[in-house]
Amino acid sequence: MSQISRRQAIAILGALGFGATAAACAGPGGTTTPGGATGPAAPATGAVTGKVSFAHWRGEDKVVFDELIKRFAALHDGVEVVQDISTSNDYNAQGLQKVRGAAIGDAFATFRGAQFKNFTEAGIYSELKGSKAAANYQPGLLTAGQSGDSQLGLPYQVVFPMPMANADLFDKAGAEIAPKDWDGFLAMCEKLAASGVIPISWPGGDVGNGGQLFNCMIANNAPVDDMCAQIEQGKLKCTDDWFLKMLGQYKDLVPYLQPNATGTAVEPAQNLFSQGKAAMLATGSYHIAAVRGLGAAFPIELVFPNTSDGNGKFEGAYNATFILGVNSASKNQAASAAWIDFLSEPENAGYYANQTAQHVAVKDVEYTNPDLKRLSPWLDKKTALAARFQFQNLDVRNAVEASATAVISGTSPEQAAEAAQKIVDERI
Amino acid sequence: MSTPTGTAAQRKAPHSPTRTDTAKARRRSPTRVNPALYLFPLPAVAIIAFFLVMPTLQAFQYAITDWNGFSAAFNYVGLDNFVRAFTKDSLFTNALTNNLKFVLMVVIAQTAFSLILALLLTKNSRGSILLRALFFFPTILSSVSVAFIWKFIYDPNFGLANAVLGGVGLEALQGSYLGNNAQALYWVAVTQVWFHAGQMMVVYIAGLQAIPRELYEAAEMDGAGRWQQFKSITWPFVAPATSIVVAYTTVQSFKAFDLILGIAGNPPKQSLDILSTRIYSTFANSEFGYAAAQSIIFMAMIALVTWLQRRLLRLTPKGE
Repeated sequence: MSQISRRQAIAILGALGFGATAAACAGPGGTTTPGGATGPAAPATGAVTGKVSFAHWRGEDKVVFDELIKRFAALHDGVEVVQDISTSNDYNAQGLQKVRGAAIGDAFATFRGAQFKNFTEAGIYSELKGSKAAANYQPGLLTAGQSGDSQLGLPYQVVFPMPMANADLFDKAGAEIAPKDWDGFLAMCEKLAASGVIPISWPGGDVGNGGQLFNCMIANNAPVDDMCAQIEQGKLKCTDDWFLKMLGQYKDLVPYLQPNATGTAVEPAQNLFSQGKAAMLATGSYHIAAVRGLGAAFPIELVFPNTSDGNGKFEGAYNATFILGVNSASKNQAASAAWIDFLSEPENAGYYANQTAQHVAVKDVEYTNPDLKRLSPWLDKKTALAARFQFQNLDVRNAVEASATAVISGTSPEQAAEAAQKIVDERI
Repeated sequence: MSTPTGTAAQRKAPHSPTRTDTAKARRRSPTRVNPALYLFPLPAVAIIAFFLVMPTLQAFQYAITDWNGFSAAFNYVGLDNFVRAFTKDSLFTNALTNNLKFVLMVVIAQTAFSLILALLLTKNSRGSILLRALFFFPTILSSVSVAFIWKFIYDPNFGLANAVLGGVGLEALQGSYLGNNAQALYWVAVTQVWFHAGQMMVVYIAGLQAIPRELYEAAEMDGAGRWQQFKSITWPFVAPATSIVVAYTTVQSFKAFDLILGIAGNPPKQSLDILSTRIYSTFANSEFGYAAAQSIIFMAMIALVTWLQRRLLRLTPKGE
């Protein structure tokens, strides 16, 4: 081996450094088509075999999915479905980066709103319009998975982001469980308070769960159904009268919330409700399993804080999270699509629903879970699609929702609205 | 002026080589070495290049774009992201203010508290060793565990803090803690100090135990009081440790990301948002270019504050 000088060696190391620099300076975004995604086309067909990675964030549903995977594998020789589960925060922050190369997530779930939009823009979804799976859904509940004319995702779960009610405490207090207007709602709270319980347990210290009440409060106050999108675009403002009216209604709630509500995390709020100290838990039906797990044995109903004067457009609020999709960059689209088809069959969707205490958007599902059975009529009511997920910018969403929390903690509606609008203006 | 000595021949003799001469000679006659020797640092160079140089350079590049983190399309926007952070983003300036407040509170409280602990527990008695272990214990916990423990201590409904206050008849002092925007940051600072003071106490104890006992004995014989002994003996010896404690605590409190996120949830509310959580929120908001610019500002700020501290806190023992 011939010898080299120190200068030559330094030159070689320098070249390596320069190479690293040059590589680092390659434009962001990588290839022109991220991860090789090809945009919305129907998933490829073929043999249902091989490995399918199913990426999602619902760790609590793992056992239920394991059972469904077993049943799916029993139908198809040589197919294997693996769950790639992240926490919801991680999935929200990094889901796109994880899934876009299809190293994981041949089939995947997305949150409604900003995440669904980002996945759509990145061309990760396959087209599911006209698929066997899509035909199994209630048409009115498919909108959250649509983009233009395409049906890119299938909104699987249906949740009701409305306060859950301890029906026994309502009976004891003689309180109306379905108030027709805002005065009726406040009168109901007054009766509950007079009976010696906290009317509403609200986790104001938890931005995500505390924010669900916003979906109910804004539904019948806003002049248009895409109110949050319009706030983000600058067409509507937090300083508008209708928004101030809503913040004023938040202020009305203060005497009926647990003390120090803005410092309460979600777990203590659930405890107040499940222990019968609070008549309502202002999060949503997605917490039924959790409060049952905490020992709540009373019948659970849903209550819509109807902010209208009696002529409100909506009777409640719902949301479609957990939007199923087939990755356009997947190398095993046939099996991935078959897995989504399988989940979307009424029998399997019913199994998922009853085991997880979540309603689903699949039609003809038989609910055997007593809570789901009792709350099933809400699937047919005129409910508003949860408005807070119209926000595409999370800073805007948090700022607007924080205005409600600020009012609860004593800030005037005007000041809270101005503070929120300032941030909205900066983001427009 | 010195006078040359010796013979003319001696004066003309070649002088002993200077450093410059040696360098010149090296350049003229390169050292020949076995090239295989230069292969040994290659793995380290490759690792540093891939995991340090490239990401850092990429961050600088992303910082001047409007890249959203996943799209192939992006534009170069020059220094707009940096300007935006300071002029058009009240969430960033709010996080910056919170962070500076937090650092100041924690540095002062943690330095003082850990020094006091060290002074109290520096003797090697059985009780002191047990107490040292107790105070050091939080350090071995993960920050996420600490965050959750304290989140429940602060809970206004079921929390230990309100329960204790209620138990001793101080209901008037019970509060919402993290729910009170004006106080929330102070309470997180308390947690941060509880979490790390034990670690810093160990640094101080090491410094204290290096002080010769004879100095105290001599001081006592001279009639020096406790304060005089501290001022004239203890402090000069532990001053270098203070320099380390302050620098370490500063960097640690700037980056209290996991503690804040664990206590306050994601995203934290504005009163608890610090730079690291703000950067995370900006990344999560698909603004990679802007988040990269914020990261660079953050990095520069830590470097600047650390450098300033090193300049201002040149605490060395007397005589050095």
